[in-house]
Amino acid sequence: MSDSPVSVHNPNEGQPQDEGPSAAQQKQMEQAYAQMKRKMSMQEIGKKIKHKIMVLSGKGGVGKSTVSTGLALSLAQQGHKVGILDIDITGPNVPKMMGLDGKRLHVEGGRIHPAQGHLGVKVISMAFLLDDDDTPVVWRGPIKLGAIQQFIGDVEWGNLDYLVIDFPPGTSDEPLTVAQSLPDIDGMVIVTTPQDVALMDSRKSIGFAESLKVPVLGVVENMSGYTINGKSAPNSTVEIAGPGGKSISTQADDEGNFSVVVDIFKKGGGKNTAEEFSVPYLGALPFDPGFVRGGDDGVHRIVSEPEGHSAKAFSEVVAAIQEQIGASESSSLEII
Amino acid sequence: MAEIMPKLTRLERRKSDLLLTYESGDELSVEYVDLRHACPCAKCAPNRNEDQTSIDLRESVEKLANKKPKVVTIGNYALSFEWEDQGCSSGIYRFERIWALANNKDPDNGKPYVHGPW
Ligand SMILES: Nc1ncnc2c1ncn2[C@@H]1O[C@H](COP(=O)(O)OP(=O)(O)OP(=O)(O)O)[C@@H](O)[C@H]1O
Ligand SMILES: [Mg+2]
Repeated sequence: MSDSPVSVHNPNEGQPQDEGPSAAQQKQMEQAYAQMKRKMSMQEIGKKIKHKIMVLSGKGGVGKSTVSTGLALSLAQQGHKVGILDIDITGPNVPKMMGLDGKRLHVEGGRIHPAQGHLGVKVISMAFLLDDDDTPVVWRGPIKLGAIQQFIGDVEWGNLDYLVIDFPPGTSDEPLTVAQSLPDIDGMVIVTTPQDVALMDSRKSIGFAESLKVPVLGVVENMSGYTINGKSAPNSTVEIAGPGGKSISTQADDEGNFSVVVDIFKKGGGKNTAEEFSVPYLGALPFDPGFVRGGDDGVHRIVSEPEGHSAKAFSEVVAAIQEQIGASESSSLEII
Repeated sequence: MAEIMPKLTRLERRKSDLLLTYESGDELSVEYVDLRHACPCAKCAPNRNEDQTSIDLRESVEKLANKKPKVVTIGNYALSFEWEDQGCSSGIYRFERIWALANNKDPDNGKPYVHGPW
């Protein structure tokens, strides 16, 4: 030992000095470095992706994934470069809807590469990590959040016009982690169904949006009305028994074609929530059993019927979202 | 105060207040202290329901430095203000709210705070 008057506690006493950091220190430094690299890469990714949209709902099963994939496809139809990030760890179903069932994570050169689904939409899903589609991943909090950060920082999206992020239901940690990791999120789309319970939950999501400091782009009402098309005698009156015993009547045209919209749930809920909180109302998506088919054989309605009723409804919602994003971009407010 | 809110076109952060210019030509100001007392966040807002807590809130805001805040646009419907001191920066102020404050109107229309974002 030296004859310095200062005694220094040295945890490596006995080991040769000047040999650089210990193995533990080395590991810590490597971790810090990886963390820093990831942070920089998140910033980088933030710049390469023009618009980032989160899709949330207070309640499960209201159609977030259906809406996320629909928005992504509708945007891709317009010619945009689009990605979709499926953050749902316990029930990721985006790959099924995008025709990518059974895909596994593709890692090359230390980077994660997205799979390409319908219309060239790039897809990253937690499902790509599963060995078996029927085994849900049960990850505890911190590991899950770390995985999400990794998913954001290590994915090679390339340049994108839009990234749609699909979340698990509820106002949990995931959106918070994403909002904190990914810079400049344009905002969130809140999916609701017309029922009262779902509405109450979407109120929660709007409050949650405020606490995340992410703007609410608006509310979409999903499963709004079901259109029944049929044939009857030309110019006859058709009567349909609607929900709650209410009868709906309509007139068949010269050729006997008729079409009725049946409101399966109460109508207008999304609009009411939007009005109550003065956030934009983005429109309604019809109840369409064809979306479900997309869930099974991997053909989304927008792909199989690009000119159909549902595809049109989606493109209207997309236009409303673009108006919100565009409006904030070209905001004429001068701040000094 | 006009029934329909005109568009806010210019916002200047001055020493102790905001100078707001509207498309209608209105030029109005809001003191930082008033702005902060009217914070719509879920933590501050309920304090304005009772006279005493409202006074306390006001006093706590007056004690802060109230230096020029950073202004962040939220979508196309609101602004938020980031203060460099310890005070609350989480409120999202809809343009209607700012317009009401600029016109010395109660931005909550006399309604008590019930949980909801704004
Ligand atoms: N507009 C619609 N018309 C008909 N069926 C729909 C519609 N939207 C969603 N569905 C069906 O409802 C079910 C739930 O939809 P989806 O998986 O998109 O909801 P989610 O909110 O993502 O659910 P989770 O909370 O589990 O993530 C699916 O079977 C889907 O096909
Ligand atoms: Mg889902």
